[in-house]
Amino acid sequence: MAVIKPRPNRRGRPARQRLHSRQARFGLLFVVPATLYVAIFQLGPVLYGLVLSFSQYSPLSRSGPQFIGLDNYRGLYGDPEFARAMAITGRYVLQVLPPTVVIALGLALLSNRAFRGVGLFRTAMYVPHVISLTAVSMIWLWIYSDQGLVNEVLAFFGMSEQRWLATESGALNAASAMRVWKALGSNMVLLLAGLQTVPKDLYEAARVDGANAWQQFRAVTLPGLRPMLTYVVAMDIIYLAQGFTEIFVLTQGGPYGSTTTVNYLIYTEAFQYNDMGSASAMAFVLFAFIAGLSIIAIRVGQGRRP
Amino acid sequence: MRRVRNVPTGVLAGCLAVSLVAACGGDTATDEGGGTLTVWFPGNSEAEMALVNETIVPAFEEETGADVEVTYVDWADMSPKLNTAFAAGTAPDVIGHGVAATADLAHNDRIEDLTPYVEELDAALREDMSAALPGGEISGNQYIIPLMMTLRMIVYSGADFEEAGLDPDAPPQSWEDVKAAAEQLTVREGDKITRAGLVVPSDPIGAQQAFGTFLWSNGGEFLDEDGTTVLMDSSEAVDALEYYVGLYQGSDAVDNTLGATWASSPDAQQPIATSQASMQLSNAGDIGKYQDAAPDRDLRLMMPPAFEGHEPRAFGGPANGLMINKDSSQKELAWDFIAYMIDPDINLDYAEALGALPVHASAVDSDYVSSNPELAKAVEALPANHPNPNVPGWVQMRDAMGQHLERALHGEVGAAEALERATAEVEKIVDAGS
Repeated sequence: MAVIKPRPNRRGRPARQRLHSRQARFGLLFVVPATLYVAIFQLGPVLYGLVLSFSQYSPLSRSGPQFIGLDNYRGLYGDPEFARAMAITGRYVLQVLPPTVVIALGLALLSNRAFRGVGLFRTAMYVPHVISLTAVSMIWLWIYSDQGLVNEVLAFFGMSEQRWLATESGALNAASAMRVWKALGSNMVLLLAGLQTVPKDLYEAARVDGANAWQQFRAVTLPGLRPMLTYVVAMDIIYLAQGFTEIFVLTQGGPYGSTTTVNYLIYTEAFQYNDMGSASAMAFVLFAFIAGLSIIAIRVGQGRRP
Repeated sequence: MRRVRNVPTGVLAGCLAVSLVAACGGDTATDEGGGTLTVWFPGNSEAEMALVNETIVPAFEEETGADVEVTYVDWADMSPKLNTAFAAGTAPDVIGHGVAATADLAHNDRIEDLTPYVEELDAALREDMSAALPGGEISGNQYIIPLMMTLRMIVYSGADFEEAGLDPDAPPQSWEDVKAAAEQLTVREGDKITRAGLVVPSDPIGAQQAFGTFLWSNGGEFLDEDGTTVLMDSSEAVDALEYYVGLYQGSDAVDNTLGATWASSPDAQQPIATSQASMQLSNAGDIGKYQDAAPDRDLRLMMPPAFEGHEPRAFGGPANGLMINKDSSQKELAWDFIAYMIDPDINLDYAEALGALPVHASAVDSDYVSSNPELAKAVEALPANHPNPNVPGWVQMRDAMGQHLERALHGEVGAAEALERATAEVEKIVDAGS
């Protein structure tokens, strides 16, 4: 069979290749703005942060960053304040994540049924997600205040008022309760979307086989939801481990550091004490911590050993 | 078919880059008239903004021909924004800030030494500001010019005093007597305090300032004069902290606001205004606002008390002030603006708008002060002010100390142990900075 070769141009390049080359140049032109944006405003700061983590640098200083090798990372190794902040961050993730996912799953199962007002129910549950975390935190600051909603309810039932944000044992729990409420809506919607991808005929087959509701949930729903559950857990870990706004508004890291998460500590170190090097090193350790937890969550979600 | 012109990609990318750079560029200052002056003020007081924007700045611009651009930055954001502005080379010509930030800025050579400018001021004006200016000095040099003063004094309710059988015209003069009066004023239902005899701030920053008031009026200090030796585990400090803890802990506790942040609440929601407290350690300049918020409470100011055998001292000094950016190209104009702001008449208007204490001693004769005998007491008490140490790293020291004070106030550690731990942490910060 004869093969028709493209007609070469004057420089010996085929016309199609020339066309592709022109398209490629225009394609390149179209991605330039986004590439510049990502490079300047995302990759650049990350790389600069990495450089700073090996430096001693105060923005007030005129001398600029001074390279000090791994000193910032070595400093963190023996820093009790950082160790405590890591432990608080870990505790915060662990005590918010399970109830958030479990309750959101229950709400998703509920709202996956057809009942009157289901649309309103779904919307109402999603509302907290669209309100900014700062605004939500301000509202909860009032809810937890001495004359706030929670204490008013307690007083109505004849119980004594509590200082929800003022005790070392209670402040992180109070912030966690708020965060669970805030995260429910988005998790519910994602899990609802996951539920609706589970084929109906699998349930029919399970029912034909005599499976009860619990068995259907274990054998059909959970395996069908696994990809979405994995996504939800991984994203929640990423968001929760970076907890800052709610801490800044509700407790400012107190009382006596009991709610100082790593992100809050980074803020203090960088912008209150002007130690950008140490703050950057903390940020990269936190990044490694989040990446590690996320990888474990994804591997467990995929049914592999962590 | 229309043919797309083959515009070189590099040219377009270049245009884009130029546009981007142009878009990112700041406006260029014109030197027409007196030039352009950028000023940052801390806070978001509407009264301050109205006075500065509508009266002070237009008058200054008319007088000098300058163009003044004023930006108000929330207190909490001031240091982060200012520090990043210094790093980026975009810091304003005139910087308004709290005194606590001054030492770090001076230490890093970011602000101008204003001593030569102050020396050129009229001697009478310098004398008139003699209670305020030292608070803006670091190692004998003036770096910040105070705009208003603050002083912690006890606001008390004459009505509650009378109800409790105390003479409102003869308030306590020592901290021991204050505690005794507070016990008499405290109202309880069972174990629960329903009206506090005395409330004192207990949030980290407020606690440090309140503790300073107790410490200094007991003859103690945080640091020595050089700022190199930590003195906060002295016996005076332990006694002062035990007194402070005793306000919240024990069967004779008189304060039920431990952990609550009420100092920044609106005037009408302050414990002293809502009858939740009979005495309250507050910024003395706020007395007029509290009186307006609760006219039936007969609110008065108590002269600063001391522990037996010591002189009265209370946290105070310049509340905020103005500095000049060392890299400013408009230093003379910047100083003109500061000099304008500390003109006695202008400064009095400024202090009145903010409900603060003016920086001039002569203000005691003004209508603003003399029309309110309680405010006059505050101005009279200003010489008892004691500022926090003005040393590099102070903010870090204050935060480190605040955590240990909080633990002691909550009864989790004893006063002596809390102060030992605070001393150890502050010593590390002092050593790191030296």
